[in-house]
Amino acid sequence: MRRAVLLTALAVALTACAPSVPGSSGSSGSPGAQAPASADRLTIGTTADVVNYNPLVGNSRTDSWVTDLMYPKLTQMDATGKRIPYLATEWSYSEDGKTATAKLRDDMKWSDGKPVTASDVVFSVTAVQKEKFGVVAGLITALDEAEAVSPTEVRFKLSRPDGTFLDNVGFWLPVVPEDVFSKAPSVQKFANDKDWVSAGPFKLTKVERGQRYIMDRVDDFGPGKPTVKQVVFRVFPDVNTEVLALRNGEIDMIGNVLPPATATELKSDTAVKLQEIPSLGWAHLQYNTKRKPLDDVRVRQALAHAVDYEAIRNIALKGFAKSSNSSVLTPSLPQWTDQASKEYAFDPEQSKKLLAEAGQTNLRLGMIYDQADPNIARWAPMVRDAAKKAGITIELQGLERNTYLDKTTKRDFDIYAGSWAVMDNPPANLGLAFKSGGFINYAQVEDPKLDDLIDQAQRALTQEEAKPPIQEAARMIHDQVYDNVLYVETFNVAHSAKWTGFQPMPSELLSILNPLSLAAAKPAG
Amino acid sequence: MTAAAVELTPRRRTWSSFRRNPLGVASGLLLLLLALVAICAPLIAPFPEGYGADTSQPPSSAHWFGTDDIGQDVFAQVVWGTRVSMAVGVSASVLAIVIGLLIGVCAAYFRRLDTPLGVLVDLSLSLPVLPLMILVAALAGPSVRTLAVVIALFSWPEVARVVRSQALAIVPMPFVSAAKVVGGSSLWIVRKHLLPGVVPVVGVSVVLTTSRAVLSEAGLSFLGLGDPNSWSWGTILHKAQQSGALASAWWTTLFPSLAILLLVLSTTLLSVAYNDARNHRSDT
Repeated sequence: MRRAVLLTALAVALTACAPSVPGSSGSSGSPGAQAPASADRLTIGTTADVVNYNPLVGNSRTDSWVTDLMYPKLTQMDATGKRIPYLATEWSYSEDGKTATAKLRDDMKWSDGKPVTASDVVFSVTAVQKEKFGVVAGLITALDEAEAVSPTEVRFKLSRPDGTFLDNVGFWLPVVPEDVFSKAPSVQKFANDKDWVSAGPFKLTKVERGQRYIMDRVDDFGPGKPTVKQVVFRVFPDVNTEVLALRNGEIDMIGNVLPPATATELKSDTAVKLQEIPSLGWAHLQYNTKRKPLDDVRVRQALAHAVDYEAIRNIALKGFAKSSNSSVLTPSLPQWTDQASKEYAFDPEQSKKLLAEAGQTNLRLGMIYDQADPNIARWAPMVRDAAKKAGITIELQGLERNTYLDKTTKRDFDIYAGSWAVMDNPPANLGLAFKSGGFINYAQVEDPKLDDLIDQAQRALTQEEAKPPIQEAARMIHDQVYDNVLYVETFNVAHSAKWTGFQPMPSELLSILNPLSLAAAKPAG
Repeated sequence: MTAAAVELTPRRRTWSSFRRNPLGVASGLLLLLLALVAICAPLIAPFPEGYGADTSQPPSSAHWFGTDDIGQDVFAQVVWGTRVSMAVGVSASVLAIVIGLLIGVCAAYFRRLDTPLGVLVDLSLSLPVLPLMILVAALAGPSVRTLAVVIALFSWPEVARVVRSQALAIVPMPFVSAAKVVGGSSLWIVRKHLLPGVVPVVGVSVVLTTSRAVLSEAGLSFLGLGDPNSWSWGTILHKAQQSGALASAWWTTLFPSLAILLLVLSTTLLSVAYNDARNHRSDT
């Protein structure tokens, strides 16, 4: 009896000693207990640490998720990819298209108490322009000079009319505090890894590398006080363990996109809610137009007819993918799509005919892809097997990520299988991807007529004006098979049924953990 | 005692005592069966490719080991995986044995080479093998041949060390000195006296190195460094992990893991049985 008492005492003592785990919701009570969520803490699973706290440089998903909550942008995106106000309340171009203006809201404050002003925006964009780094630098080539007209108005002077400028700057440029970042000799090299001064809905308060990132609510956040007191990012080794943690109630949301098979399985779990998020990018095959015989459009068309698109979408992606009708104007951006575009039919006979016309027999090609990308690794063999029916031998080269990136930058491949993550503005993105010498022009397209069309679209100041030339360009890309679009993925993001109010936005960068969505999230019921 | 290893009678004695060890015999038979499966793979199951309508089905009479997330038959994958896994295992082990034998015998016979070769072996043994294998496999690009070479390159030092110590015991033997006296060339002495003397250890080594090579192959393939154009047990595991179905579709991981377990277990038991039989511990 005495021993039993002792044991009980010991057990109690041990429990008391056990370190409490901040970041596991429902810290009292066993994991999995279905207690209603409190608005105290929302825990998000991720599979990587934050590598870069400088939002102007950072590019991994976890980097963006965390820094997006800290640093505002001029605009956000709605579910169809249209820009909506965030730091900027309105924006416009001058008549000649050479001046762009953005008006800012006046109620945003940095965490050191100073207001977010036009000069912070000017500082951020000028730093990127001067030092030329990150995604933004390639998108603001038209910028001459930015100036703060008043604390709430920024004017951008452009060297040429560029209708993509405001969309690009608004969506891609994080605004950083001038006072802090200007002290660094080089903004690009500024690590920004402590004493953060931020202005988003949450501020980073504690970092335990490899474990968790704790972010606290900013009570006087301009667009509205967030409901959740604390957002915690917890680091897990992979999606499988994240799913287990979500089911056990240890976390409230998985930041990473679920693999299609896992999503199918989680559909039947009532404790978990799935949100479908359209991708802003697409998965595709690109044929190296500078290599023989891929310089022959008939060979590229033959390859396009030798892919079983339906099977890839239905089996490899379990139906979580939409057809883009072989067009680079995807259904995720409905205001741009071209209804007339038709998907290449899977027709091995047609392929054989085209190959015979081009004088090709026993065509052998290598196909590179990132072995670590689960979706592509699943459909790459399907591409090979379908091509076999048309008498084309495709040799799979599933590479380790860095080797793959290296081969891509050197354009050292016959066929490239991959996907683009965020293509949010067709005139700007098609320029990068298909104009001669474009930064991501993997297929090495050099077509003066296409260049003209894209230039024309970029110069247009309204979407209506840009649409005809860009649709024409997309038709050329389709007919010439400069890009073979396989599908637009529908991402599945899972969160606990105990939470509601998320505002899903397209792309896995934004999904349901974009700043406005997390600020609006609240416990269900 | 002197020429025990080369005479016929002890060999027979080894065989008869090996036959009396049921574990050893069962392991041997199992290995034979696996080898048979590897050789006859095309007769047993069609090459797994394409896709099927029955995705992620549990084991049934139509699909003995179930199907994976794109509807391929896991049984066919395991059967064809046996082929690549064993081919990589055997070829890597043969390559490692050849290198190891050469270096081990040279170190033992040519005294001046002993120190540099010893340093080389020690150095190779102290290398962090797995990260290096991953690095080399990643840089060289995934293919069955790369895997075999990479694994061999990192498995020979063990063989070399075992061979050297065995050969060191033979070199000072009177018959080796006698052969030198009658004017036998080094090559002839190595071939006629040293090699036969170390063959029994090599026999055990072949089996063990093969099983280690199969394990390394599975490990590298699981990490995504396998040949995407063929199937191996590690590749099946890799695909199962990638599909995110580890927790739900147990059959995609259980059967290839079982195959690896069976192979490694039977090789280990076989070499233990062989060693016991050769040392005649049961006789004394």
